[in-house]
Amino acid sequence: MAGTKFGFFDANVRSINLDVETPETIEGVLHREPSLLKCIGCGNCAAMCTAGHFTDLRFYRLNLYLKRGLVNEIRKEAQNCMLCGKCQLTCPRGVNIRHAILLMSSIRP
Amino acid sequence: MSQKNNNIKQVAIIGAGPAGLQAATVLSQNQVQVLLIDKQAKTGGHLEKWSHLFPDSRPSNEILKVLQQGIQKENIQFFKNKRVSKISKSNGQWELGTDDGLVINSDAVVIATGFNTFDAHQKEEYGYGIYPAVVTSENLESIFKGETTWPFNSSGKDLRFGIVHCVGSRDAKCGNLYCSKVCCVTAVKQAIELKKKFPGATVYCFYMDMRMFGTGYEELYQEAQTKYNIQFIRGRLSEASPSQDNRLQVKAEDTLLGRPAKLTLDMLVLMVGMIPAVSLEMKNDAVYLNQPAYGSSFITPDDVFLKMNHHQQAGLFITGACKGPASIPEVLQDAKATSIEVLNYFNNKIK
Repeated sequence: MAGTKFGFFDANVRSINLDVETPETIEGVLHREPSLLKCIGCGNCAAMCTAGHFTDLRFYRLNLYLKRGLVNEIRKEAQNCMLCGKCQLTCPRGVNIRHAILLMSSIRP
Repeated sequence: MSQKNNNIKQVAIIGAGPAGLQAATVLSQNQVQVLLIDKQAKTGGHLEKWSHLFPDSRPSNEILKVLQQGIQKENIQFFKNKRVSKISKSNGQWELGTDDGLVINSDAVVIATGFNTFDAHQKEEYGYGIYPAVVTSENLESIFKGETTWPFNSSGKDLRFGIVHCVGSRDAKCGNLYCSKVCCVTAVKQAIELKKKFPGATVYCFYMDMRMFGTGYEELYQEAQTKYNIQFIRGRLSEASPSQDNRLQVKAEDTLLGRPAKLTLDMLVLMVGMIPAVSLEMKNDAVYLNQPAYGSSFITPDDVFLKMNHHQQAGLFITGACKGPASIPEVLQDAKATSIEVLNYFNNKIK
């Protein structure tokens, strides 16, 4: 934690500012995998996910980070995927999750 | 009033919206004398205020025209600007009394009083009536019809719109625990229409659940996501306030991410729910049509499975959205079903 010297610190701002323009890298992912737009956030992908038992990986949340323009969160979480593909088998909207994960984990800051 | 012929039955229909017009059409086609009564000067009810209808964006005047043509018959009499306040029955005859003292007699009565839209002023935190850029779904239809102007500079670039679902519905604070049912699909329809009018705009829908119950509704939702890139955020707005550049600043919780969000908008559309237009009170063998109060419920049928179109009193029928939120197609089918029950009643097939 930074700056605790004087008894206070810079708190992490948790709120999402939707006025910030969506980064081009994110537009690129949505453009290359348009099935991401179909997600309804049901959570089936996360319920099925083996990696989710041991890490913070929740695919539907990665997709939400993408839509809200939160680049840093995406990179951190996407690396946890083992590409087993069970999420893709269960997705009721037919999102091409594995391709999306590959695109997400290659996002550069 | 026309002379009473004993062979010809008379029905009084209270309300000349879609349900009342449809029932009047079917009953008059079956040789029933129809006395159609409305508190307004013209027929059509809320349909008259709407520009296009979900799910296929059908112009509402197409439907209205057919319904209004249906009542252009000799055996239908339209009483305008009459508010029925009391209905009573003696010797098998119904007597309807209006606020201004008119008395109408009939052999059966159909209540088709429909609904009112929720008064958005009650949700003060959304700023309706305070900020001009906050409008209701009903106001937006009138803008679509060209009767009112856009509440922002419509030549501006990168416009941003927000749509709030469940305004006055599923909200115990408003006295309405029920879901108004048609607002979700109306929101999706209006979001798409906004995007068609302003292709460069970003449209956010703030929803609690997406209740796309009807045929074609879920497909429309997916089209809104994929073809029009409408942004759906699960969570209701906490408040709207003016931003520094005189637009609207809104705050909401993104409940799927568990984080608060804030954004600036050019227009905020409130999806107002349906509330009862009348509240029935049974007193001294008469039925009174009162102004609804806070928490008033819709009219309850005699039996929600088997006597959906009947009031407990024989010869008194209820049809359409006066029983609860309903879409136009549902209301039209219900009015046809009610008409059959009225005919059965006249033929002594039901008590």
